[in-house]
Amino acid sequence: MNRVHVVKSILWGLVGLSLAVAISRFAFGLGATTNLTDTTPWGLWIGFDVMAGVALAAGGFVITALFYMMRRKEFHPMVRPAVLTAFLGYVAVVCSLMVDLGLPWNIWHMIVFWNPHSPLFEVGWCVMLYTSVLLLEFSPVPLESTSRYAKIREFLMKFRFPLVLLGIMLSTLHQSSLGSLFLIMPFKLYPLWYTDILPILFFISAVGLGLMMVSFESLVSSWIYGRKPESHLIAKLGKAAVWVLSIFLVVRFVDLAIAGKLGLIFSGTWESLLFIAEIMIMAVIPIILFAIPKTRHSLAGQWIGSFLVVFGAIFNRINVGGLTMLSTTGDSYFPSWMELSISFGIVSFMVLVFLFAIEKFHIWDDRPREAESDPHARPQFSRGGEVWLGAPAVAGRTKYSFAFVIALAIGFMLMPGTKLHSSGVENVPTRAARGGDTLFVDGNRDGYGVAFKHQFHVDTLGHEQSCVRCHHMNLPQDKNSGCFTCHSQMYAAVDAFKHDWHNSPNGANITCSECHMDGENRTAASAKHCDACHTDLIPAGATITIEQYMAPAYTDAMHDLCIGCHREIVAQQPEKQAIALCAACHATAGPEYLRADVRERLKRPEYNHVVLPGVSLEQPE
Amino acid sequence: MSVAILTDVTRCIGCLECVAACKKQNHLGLDVPRTWQNNDGLSAQNWTSILQKPGPDGAPTYIRKQCRHCLEPACASACPVGALHKTPEGPVMYDNDKCLGCRYCMMACPYGIPRYDWDQQVPYVRKCIMCYDNVKAGDQPACTKACPKEATIFGTREELLAEAHRRIKANPGLYIDHVWGEHEVGGTSVLYISDISLDFLCYQPNLKTSLPSTTSTAMKSVPFAFVGMGGVMLGLNWIIKRRQKLQGEHTEEEGHQ
Repeated sequence: MNRVHVVKSILWGLVGLSLAVAISRFAFGLGATTNLTDTTPWGLWIGFDVMAGVALAAGGFVITALFYMMRRKEFHPMVRPAVLTAFLGYVAVVCSLMVDLGLPWNIWHMIVFWNPHSPLFEVGWCVMLYTSVLLLEFSPVPLESTSRYAKIREFLMKFRFPLVLLGIMLSTLHQSSLGSLFLIMPFKLYPLWYTDILPILFFISAVGLGLMMVSFESLVSSWIYGRKPESHLIAKLGKAAVWVLSIFLVVRFVDLAIAGKLGLIFSGTWESLLFIAEIMIMAVIPIILFAIPKTRHSLAGQWIGSFLVVFGAIFNRINVGGLTMLSTTGDSYFPSWMELSISFGIVSFMVLVFLFAIEKFHIWDDRPREAESDPHARPQFSRGGEVWLGAPAVAGRTKYSFAFVIALAIGFMLMPGTKLHSSGVENVPTRAARGGDTLFVDGNRDGYGVAFKHQFHVDTLGHEQSCVRCHHMNLPQDKNSGCFTCHSQMYAAVDAFKHDWHNSPNGANITCSECHMDGENRTAASAKHCDACHTDLIPAGATITIEQYMAPAYTDAMHDLCIGCHREIVAQQPEKQAIALCAACHATAGPEYLRADVRERLKRPEYNHVVLPGVSLEQPE
Repeated sequence: MSVAILTDVTRCIGCLECVAACKKQNHLGLDVPRTWQNNDGLSAQNWTSILQKPGPDGAPTYIRKQCRHCLEPACASACPVGALHKTPEGPVMYDNDKCLGCRYCMMACPYGIPRYDWDQQVPYVRKCIMCYDNVKAGDQPACTKACPKEATIFGTREELLAEAHRRIKANPGLYIDHVWGEHEVGGTSVLYISDISLDFLCYQPNLKTSLPSTTSTAMKSVPFAFVGMGGVMLGLNWIIKRRQKLQGEHTEEEGHQ
């Protein structure tokens, strides 16, 4: 296995995994595959794939501006890789948008329905136009491989200069408009990042990043093929990046100073630490590295410097794209493994296309060849494949397809079997008459619910042994099993009070005035209460407490196991009144504050039926 | 003349009649509470909800949450295809057929109102539409119709603002002297008066300017940036080309000598 084979196999594996996830995303919806919520509707796919993807494609317009506009002819070896990277970056953005958009088949609406007030409208148009321009800019390269398309190529070459110019103009708009996207959220974005000049900051940083992205990509692809990178050119780009990044730093800090936000940097919040880290990684350290001639010309200095800028810029886009909004929205978000694998998969596929283009077309002056692998792996029947793709492509193919198929299979295995996979059901709001038997379970939180008869369930499911069937001690926060565990049709609309049934001749057959008093508005609020007729609904002496979002059933279950006997004893021996009081067991409120002697007694074997397995009786710290 | 809703928090008894009426009117389905929902009870199937907060005397106070129908809605300004728009009558409407699911409206809303059909394969954005069909027909929304305590009432915005200020003036001891929605983010069509602060309804309560204006400068400068960058590039190219040509001639001349 040589380096090319290892890298390509890993990439193919990642592509396979993401393909399986992409299928489940469309089969089950966004909720099942992502960790996105109503408060965090944009996640990794926007913050990384779209925001950072566009930023990483900045190399294309920066290098073409240097080469064609500023006529720096020495950068010629970098033009083709840079344009190719930009094109693939934009294709990656389009791919991830197709996964992220809720209704991707409506993407063409952007062309028909216009809203020029929206920065996203500008972003959309820039993506469409610039991707097309990049395709036209790059297409002469594959066309030159055969003479058959020479005429088309010549025709395209005539428009090279205007196309490049248009590409630079569109990039200017697009890089800055990604910053404009967040101008509408002054209430959400952390003040250290929110500024009116966000579009300008995005543009300047994109220029700096573009320079370094081209360098980094040259270093990485050269490493894969074991060739010498264009170190003298990278050093020149590094020198330019020092200037651009310094301008970025000055603008960033002057803007913060004018807005009076400099103090926030030292406020010690996690955002301020994030800011310091971002500035150091993205600008300060690379500026120092590339300002010193010795590190600028050394391979290690170039690797570290360009990596830091690329990493720091991705970091910056993710920060603006949502990370620094979390403290405002009060929501936590971390991408699910499926979101991560889609992101990695798209990037991997673009890298594979890049490597393919490097091998097949005249991207570099010295075209690398994938080393021959085991000749037995070459399918004997595939004459066509060899003619069209060449022998080396066939040789490596067995390994890649193996990695691809295995990863695809793993992806399908891990695929969520249910829509609820990454989004569990919340606690069902339950109200109960304390000490009473009927629980009021409001599954859909609309105020109407199901009357749940606890004793009936105990009797039906096997008396004292039945508790564990619903009150699983291993569920977090002592949650009880939802009704749907047994009643899969639980979420049918049930109106606890059937009004129609009450006044129907076939039902209770009572008149209006029996519940709605004369001289009152006929509303639910002024009507006679249920327990006026159904006297057994709430047991005498019970007080109703409304515990929204918390199921009180567990407390009731625990109490029933003890209080029942205590009451029986009091009924027979009235002088033992004290053992029925709360203070008989509890030192203060809460189950964890059981009196020490009660706690000790519960450890005895005759109380095994009271204490369920897994309950700790040790004193809480 | 635009219509509005005024909710008087002091009158609400939390009976949830409005929530049930909303579900019935808009044919909303059943809702399984999921982790992707915020705890405010709103969801793709619940367009209004009742929040419970402790009141000044400790007793529970109920606050109805719903879309605020901003006078200059950030969501409508953000939508790239104009699927959301402010109708002349007042409600902010959503068009299923235009939406492409980018969820920028959800990011842009200062009240965090729009919800998404996360569990659907064909998902849409969901929020209160102030029962637009009713409003257009001269009727009132289902929620205000259902309220037994007249805690949430319907009318024109001017009328309701006057009523809100009248109530505050008539009972200054009870109300906080503030009409939520009168000026926030450029004003909203859903107004609140209350005896507890309702600042928690908004991400940033002291936001007075309308949000669409924040992006307008950037959007207006788009053509200038576009043409400007083209001009700068062409100019640079011309200057450098000329300089290189002159240098070339110069060296040529030197070569001749």
